[in-house]
Amino acid sequence: MSSTLMEVRNLKKHFPSPAGPVKAVDGINLKIEQGKSFGLVGESGCGKSTLIRVMLKLLEPTEGEIIFQGQDITKYGFREMRSLRKEMGMVFQDPHLALNPKMTVFDIISRPLKIHGLARKKGELMVQVVELMQAMGLQTEHMIRFPHELSGGQKQRIGVARAMAVEPKIIFLDEPTSALDVSVQTKILKLLEQARRERDLTFFYISHDINLIRVVADIMGVMYLGKIVEMGPKALLLKDPHHPYTRGLFAAVPEPDPDIIISEIQLTGEVPSPVNPPPGCNFNPRCPHVMDRCRKEEPEFKELSDGRSVACHLY
Amino acid sequence: MEELLKIENLQVSFSTEEGPVEALDGVELTIRQGTFHGLIGETGCGKSVTGQAILGLLDNNARIRGGRILYREKDLLKLSSRQMGRTIRGKEIAMIFQDPGSSLNPLFTIKNQIEEAICMFRKVPREKREGLILEALKQVKLPDAENLMYRYPHQLSGGMKQRVMIAMMLACRPQLLIADEPTTALDVSIQAQFIKVLKELKDNLNLTILYITHDLAVISELCDYVSVMYAGRIVEDLSMRDLFKNPRHPYTTKLVNSVLGANTTLDQLEEIPGSVPRLINPPKGCRFHPRCEEAIAVCNREVPLLKEVKADHSVACHRR
Repeated sequence: MSSTLMEVRNLKKHFPSPAGPVKAVDGINLKIEQGKSFGLVGESGCGKSTLIRVMLKLLEPTEGEIIFQGQDITKYGFREMRSLRKEMGMVFQDPHLALNPKMTVFDIISRPLKIHGLARKKGELMVQVVELMQAMGLQTEHMIRFPHELSGGQKQRIGVARAMAVEPKIIFLDEPTSALDVSVQTKILKLLEQARRERDLTFFYISHDINLIRVVADIMGVMYLGKIVEMGPKALLLKDPHHPYTRGLFAAVPEPDPDIIISEIQLTGEVPSPVNPPPGCNFNPRCPHVMDRCRKEEPEFKELSDGRSVACHLY
Repeated sequence: MEELLKIENLQVSFSTEEGPVEALDGVELTIRQGTFHGLIGETGCGKSVTGQAILGLLDNNARIRGGRILYREKDLLKLSSRQMGRTIRGKEIAMIFQDPGSSLNPLFTIKNQIEEAICMFRKVPREKREGLILEALKQVKLPDAENLMYRYPHQLSGGMKQRVMIAMMLACRPQLLIADEPTTALDVSIQAQFIKVLKELKDNLNLTILYITHDLAVISELCDYVSVMYAGRIVEDLSMRDLFKNPRHPYTTKLVNSVLGANTTLDQLEEIPGSVPRLINPPKGCRFHPRCEEAIAVCNREVPLLKEVKADHSVACHRR
């Protein structure tokens, strides 16, 4: 039985705007198990990037609790967070922007080690940087190079090496492969999975690419307009998605096998604005199974007997 | 089926501070009337340059070093830019770009912009224009077209803007549409709606499309034929079915096996060692040989030519 590493309760993040608060994250509940890979999918603007920024306390939550290793970190200030920062790593979407162009690869990977005082002497730093670069399949002679001398795939592997340098418990990955070509994507995914097994890491992936989440996640969550609509073990969700949005989303994914005929489109219309979401269930204007109740009453996010949770009046 | 567009041995280079970049090195491509032709490849392989070359939209530092682009047996490379603008671009061959937001003018309504496109090539009396605009908007399944045409681009979502772009295209009745990554900026559910619209247009209007993308999954939903590009050359030309069921070129095979699908697991995915070569100083012989597991001595020396292995299937590889 694995234990819960991180938990989020009724987390909200609203941004002020002239038209009223933008409810980017609006009541999220989730648990991340130690050593597992959690994958959150959602379309652009659903609030997934805001969610991880709030969970990392890069943004202050409007409401709710964030619990990390049993401690409530919601109210932690800058100083208290600083000691926790080394437990949480992050890999960014665009490797071309995430690395400082004026620093060498050695400086980039060793910086978090220096900041957290985990290694001070050049020799110690060198040993660790070499080990990290080898784990990410990078040639150690690239240590003295600058980011612009490397390919996109190599840069992203440096981003991962930097995130792993301080031996965090959890790494947040924001679309780690969307800026990369398919031929280099596989290598990153395999290296990540290997590192996770060897170092007993926990991953939290967010992506708009359902196929990516299908491949990498153990637990899968589906987000729509600031809320999680369905969450559970990956196999369960893929085999039998319950929430109408999950079903529609899965059906919309183009399939690279011409023998698999994708079903008729189920999602019509567009995502409503998070400033003024529809009353009741957020999804009701696009839902093919909409009932009167859905327009009035917000569905509760409840756990079903098979271990998944879903927010829909049908269940 | 009739050949609508045929590219023969097209060579394009760009002059840069570091020296000439051979972006296209002998591209061969044949698009048949009424088919959807996919052009796939990774970043920097020259697929967008091919699209731009067809319409004469290459950047100023580009030089066409050789080859022909035959549109209905007329060589487009021999036309002046004035002739291209008057007789081909928009009228016969149209293009839609990756980012629909930057393709529309933010200061004019949708109606103004489609009207302008219509009047470019045809004399249409004022009272008939609105009907044509509405018809075009309805062909791309935009809801509430009567009100929508009075809106400005910022009032529409990305998916709607991309459909407006197609409506504008259709209003000019081109024969060939070049679509350069039209769904990359869209979400999956919006992408699915867009693909459906394109499929219907194919059936109803006998439209021909050159669909440029890096996304193999979209290709499988839409295209009849596919050309696979690598580092400025076409390495394989085949039907969509063969692409997924019977690819022959080592690059195509690896590429297909690295695509994430519904039933793939991490172990099944193949990786291609190394990375895409820079075209300043591309590898000699076959440009894929440094990353190829099957490479032999000849691959390093001679450029493999596209040769037919069966009907509708050509491969450029010394080992096939």
